[in-house]
Amino acid sequence: MPRVATGTRIRPLDELDLGRVVQIDERITGIYRPEVWEQRVGYYLRRDPEASQVAEVDGKVVGFMLGDLRAGEFGLEEPSGWIERFGIDPDYRGRDLGKQMFEALCRHFKDQGAVVIRTLADRKDAGVAGFLDALGFEPSALQALEKRL
Amino acid sequence: MKVENLPLEKKYHDAVEHWRRHWMPDYDTLLDQWEQYFPKDERFCLCAKLELGTPERIQVGDHQGEPKRSKPDELTEEEAKHLLAIIRAQASTEFGSIQQHAGTLERAQDDEDRFWVMRVMAEELRHGYQMFHLLLSQDWSHVSGGVKGVEMVEEILSMQTGSHVLDAFNVEYDSFVDNICFAAIIDRVGKYQLTMQKVCAYKPFADSMPPMLREEAFHLAAGVIPLRRWAQRAAKGDPFITLSVIQKSINKWFPRGLEMFGDERGGDTNVKFGFKDMKNREAQDLYIEELARMVRDINARYLRGRFPEYSPEKVDLVLDELERSRGKHDGVQHADLLRLPDRRFFRRKGEPAWTLVGVNGESFTGVDEYQEHLARQLPEAYLTTRDLRMYAETLRRVVAGELSVADAIKKMPRLKRVGGTCPCSRAVRWVLEEPETAPSPR
Repeated sequence: MPRVATGTRIRPLDELDLGRVVQIDERITGIYRPEVWEQRVGYYLRRDPEASQVAEVDGKVVGFMLGDLRAGEFGLEEPSGWIERFGIDPDYRGRDLGKQMFEALCRHFKDQGAVVIRTLADRKDAGVAGFLDALGFEPSALQALEKRL
Repeated sequence: MKVENLPLEKKYHDAVEHWRRHWMPDYDTLLDQWEQYFPKDERFCLCAKLELGTPERIQVGDHQGEPKRSKPDELTEEEAKHLLAIIRAQASTEFGSIQQHAGTLERAQDDEDRFWVMRVMAEELRHGYQMFHLLLSQDWSHVSGGVKGVEMVEEILSMQTGSHVLDAFNVEYDSFVDNICFAAIIDRVGKYQLTMQKVCAYKPFADSMPPMLREEAFHLAAGVIPLRRWAQRAAKGDPFITLSVIQKSINKWFPRGLEMFGDERGGDTNVKFGFKDMKNREAQDLYIEELARMVRDINARYLRGRFPEYSPEKVDLVLDELERSRGKHDGVQHADLLRLPDRRFFRRKGEPAWTLVGVNGESFTGVDEYQEHLARQLPEAYLTTRDLRMYAETLRRVVAGELSVADAIKKMPRLKRVGGTCPCSRAVRWVLEEPETAPSPR
């Protein structure tokens, strides 16, 4: 529910954040793709609406981190928190907002019984790789594999 | 977060299942195609869900700091009566919304939209089931005027659009646009109520709220996301969905949504008893603010569709300018965009009930002139409904001084048994005659 907010606030994502999520993605990638984000936000809101987080500064959403709890995939029976997408408005980087959102997700996943948090990253993207390293992510024995078709 | 799933006693479970066979004929289709539309999501479970590990002590009101109550007889008689009314009203809304959705569900243009609404209906059914659990798992007879649990369940299952407790659930849908606007506007009131009730001094009620709220998050998305997509289509010139059509549906539902908070001047009792943490006007103000955000978001999607070359910042600037000047930008007028009606528009309950205030806050002096205004602002199919005719007749009597505002408000429906054409009006006893099989919550 809206409250007059000043300063920084981390809170769960809701459906009215869609517009800002689309804008942040566009600022980062240069691509306007509302349909993609409508699908993804719809997906996370119906699966685990308290997991995904946004960062607000003075009432404006400036970052998002989408994730959910899964079990039983790829032979991983233990519940794992998965982070799929995140983004911070370039004007608001360097304020630890990504870390704060990550910590909020971690708290939620731990409350739900997760003992590990996972993600997949393109190691060639130095910014993303550095961010994940700083959060404490380490290479996993579980390796992403692919074969061109 | 841990949740306990509980089935109702078999005869009540069967009664709900029986009811849904009448009102949710696509229920089995939803379950059969669940994986296609909601891959990897937990399967739907028709059961009561209670959150574990919630606060043990009362968070607001006169008893703040005391242990939460776990049985109705631990509440004062006045508190228990008040809470019972809340639970019965909530149960009525859950079943009522399914009946409304059912009327126009098949008119969805898009299968995904239809399945999203079907899931919303199934989850509302579970919410009604949850309220039955609260009514049936404890003895309320000392405050129910002798009405037993079985009778309360029958009473609620026998209600139909027109006999529900709250007005928003007595208005028929005119088209699938109403399914979507209802989810975006009326379900949002549900979110506020559930959020406020998370603190409730009666622990089983408080524990019921978090699982319902998690489901409600999707219901709001099932309203807002199709609205955003429709705005894009309207911007591209699709003649079959326009902002004007959406606006008229907003005008229809927004006043009913405001009234669901209760009279603007009230809500003290709920806070005093520790049942909610906000009074009515405070919650209503936040609701309006949130809907204003929703409307702006959809307008931004529309403008971006009209002007794909604009940056998000440019769209924001154009929106700000149109809202300030109420003028025009490159062929788009302010009046072409969505807007929230004035909070006093078309009200029949609360502080501005039965006043002649227009959608933009303008005042009217004559009923005829006001009704012409309503006819321009509301969906065409709604104009010929019984609901609007009754409203218009009552308004005329209030303005003529033949009926007081208080009496006009009291003319609204009350929780009562109604005879329907459906055998569910005797649902609980009726299913008792069926062969015994084990209840199986899915």
